[in-house]
Amino acid sequence: MLSYQLKNALNSIRNNPILSGLLICAIGLGVAMSTASLTVYYIYSGDPIPHKSDRLFYVQLDNWELSSSSNPQDETAPPTQITYRDLLGIMESDIPTHQSGMVATYPTVHPSGVDQRPFRAKTRMCYADFFPMFEVPFRYGSGWDRRADQNAEPVIVLDAKTNDKLFGGANSVGRTLRIEDREFSIVGVLDPWRPKPRFYDTFGRNATREPEGIFMPFAFVERLELDNMGSTICFGDFDDEFAAFLQSECSWIQMWVQLDDDRQREAYHGFLNAYAQQQKKLGRFPRPLNNRLVPVMSWLRDQEVVPDEAKGVLLISLLFLVVCSVNLIGILLGKFLARAPQVGVRRALGASRFSIFTQHLLECELLGVCGGLLGLGLSIAVLQFVNQSLDRGGLFALDGMMIGAGVVLSLVAGAVAGIYPAWRICRVAPATYLKLQ
Amino acid sequence: MIKLKNVQKIYRTEHVETHALGGLSLSIAAGEFVSVMGPSGSGKTTLLNITGLLDTFDRGSYLLDGRDVSGLSDRQMSKLRNAMIGFIFQSFNLIPDINVFDNIDVPLRYRGWKAKRRREAIEEALGLVGLTSRIKHLPSQLSGGQQQRVAVARALAGNPALILADEPTGNLDSAMAMEIMDLLERINQLGTTLVMVTHDPELANRAQRQLHLLDGQLIDMDFSDGHKPLFVEEEAISAAAE
Ligand SMILES: Nc1ncnc2c1ncn2[C@@H]1O[C@H](COP(=O)(O)OP(=O)(O)OP(=O)(O)O)[C@@H](O)[C@H]1O
Ligand SMILES: [Mg+2]
Repeated sequence: MLSYQLKNALNSIRNNPILSGLLICAIGLGVAMSTASLTVYYIYSGDPIPHKSDRLFYVQLDNWELSSSSNPQDETAPPTQITYRDLLGIMESDIPTHQSGMVATYPTVHPSGVDQRPFRAKTRMCYADFFPMFEVPFRYGSGWDRRADQNAEPVIVLDAKTNDKLFGGANSVGRTLRIEDREFSIVGVLDPWRPKPRFYDTFGRNATREPEGIFMPFAFVERLELDNMGSTICFGDFDDEFAAFLQSECSWIQMWVQLDDDRQREAYHGFLNAYAQQQKKLGRFPRPLNNRLVPVMSWLRDQEVVPDEAKGVLLISLLFLVVCSVNLIGILLGKFLARAPQVGVRRALGASRFSIFTQHLLECELLGVCGGLLGLGLSIAVLQFVNQSLDRGGLFALDGMMIGAGVVLSLVAGAVAGIYPAWRICRVAPATYLKLQ
Repeated sequence: MIKLKNVQKIYRTEHVETHALGGLSLSIAAGEFVSVMGPSGSGKTTLLNITGLLDTFDRGSYLLDGRDVSGLSDRQMSKLRNAMIGFIFQSFNLIPDINVFDNIDVPLRYRGWKAKRRREAIEEALGLVGLTSRIKHLPSQLSGGQQQRVAVARALAGNPALILADEPTGNLDSAMAMEIMDLLERINQLGTTLVMVTHDPELANRAQRQLHLLDGQLIDMDFSDGHKPLFVEEEAISAAAE
């Protein structure tokens, strides 16, 4: 029976190809916009590391002066990053399971191949714990150990892309690479790694960027005098020299720690407060104690990682889909009621109301699904365009869940558009229309 | 087969009430060929629609093949209609965008028959009306008489116990009308109960029994002294059938 209703529905769609095409396009556009903006929203708003995001904390220390504020929107908030002095101070703690300060830099790489020209590479300066803390996947080798941090050993980790570029994807562990004026030996090569969003550094609207291509022990910030590529906020005066910058009250370093339970967390919070008290004695930290440990998802919310545009566009797209569907109600109602005499005949020949309803709803759902497929195709094209124009690699792509969402949206759109017309046509009194024609 | 008792049908519009049928009682035995005559607006189509479960009534009772149809759900009613009744309309009422085969297929599909059985039934019915060669034609590619023959084939393909025909020859010339009449008579002779509305006394005469409707009432034409309604007693009918 269902197959017969399907056949009738298909017939009806085929018999009016232009109208059907328009209906499919309408739903398709709505679904395309909705899935594309849903994908963008989902990538910004998702949990990048779901199984441990409640155990990873962003560290905020309030070293700010009394006479100004680090955050014009929230006077009470501590600065969003920490100073070099404080980083060195709190890295002394042995309470966290893992801990790493980090900062983005942009040094020059000098490949050894004769045909390879020097280039600048986005590089993350971090501690050994970065890799186990964020569960970074390795293809070859591994990260460095804490001793390498202490001794400032010249080691680096490359991401898959950089390794492809420099070594054709071969296992480069043990080989060396010249960065600025030093030779570094490669200890690990990553598998492709793409936290969505890039939670560990969201500054400068950068949450959708790829992770850096090179990872280097933090100690080389000082040794290579590498400039911070991200934001820096300062108060007070200091000399132009790099050494003076490092001693200044400039906040420019992100600090993450892994704390596995409440006790550990309280202990570490206590440690931070004790550190601040001690600094007060040295004449720093003039404000009341205000040191914070912020879990990943709260941090992403604080940082407003989801741009208002993404929310707005998502809302507009969904509304657009609703408007499309609601408009289709009228069109489908007209189409169906024009067929009332024929439905009268079918009823006389034994079709139940339910069967008429099913046939017509099926027709709407078929249009919806065709629209959905068209929409998903369009959506892939749109996201491809976004990727290219924002240089985001393959970040904005439909995954299984988004394809599922697209299909569900198109079914819902089909139902919204179709239920009322299908109900109306199944209620027509057969006797009324049999006299006509 | 059909037992109507005191059936009343009132059409209500905003300002007027039309008593289309006023307490009509009627009994038709299985295998009968009954014609229904009466002036325009006398309620013939209404009677046929109620008999065919296409319309509801306001008062009275209706037993179809011994089954009380009041209180049946739409689903049960549709099933009963599909299994027992074939319709032939004055305006043919073929579905315009599907071909002859698919038109005859419609009631068989709703009956849920397998493809092979449907094909056989359709070919047999088309053979009976002599249109086997037009099986792939669209209704618009057939003459009026041919369309009505397809409609006859559609009505009888499922082998219903009852065929209801509302002015089946009303849109046809007299030669075509005769052809359709011959077909209907043949079907009746094969055992199908036939109720036919017509304006043509000559055609009506070919039925075993003639009913006359006036203002929603059955009248007995033999009592020409007035429009005295005749309540056909069940006993009388069964006596007549013997
Ligand atoms: N849907 C309706 N709404 C209101 N009144 C109706 C409706 N259908 C029929 N009627 C009225 O009921 C009465 C009987 O109508 P019916 O169609 O049964 O007549 P008929 O005998 O078939 O006439 P004809 O020979 O012209 O086909 C008429 O007075 C008609 O106006
Ligand atoms: Mg009529």
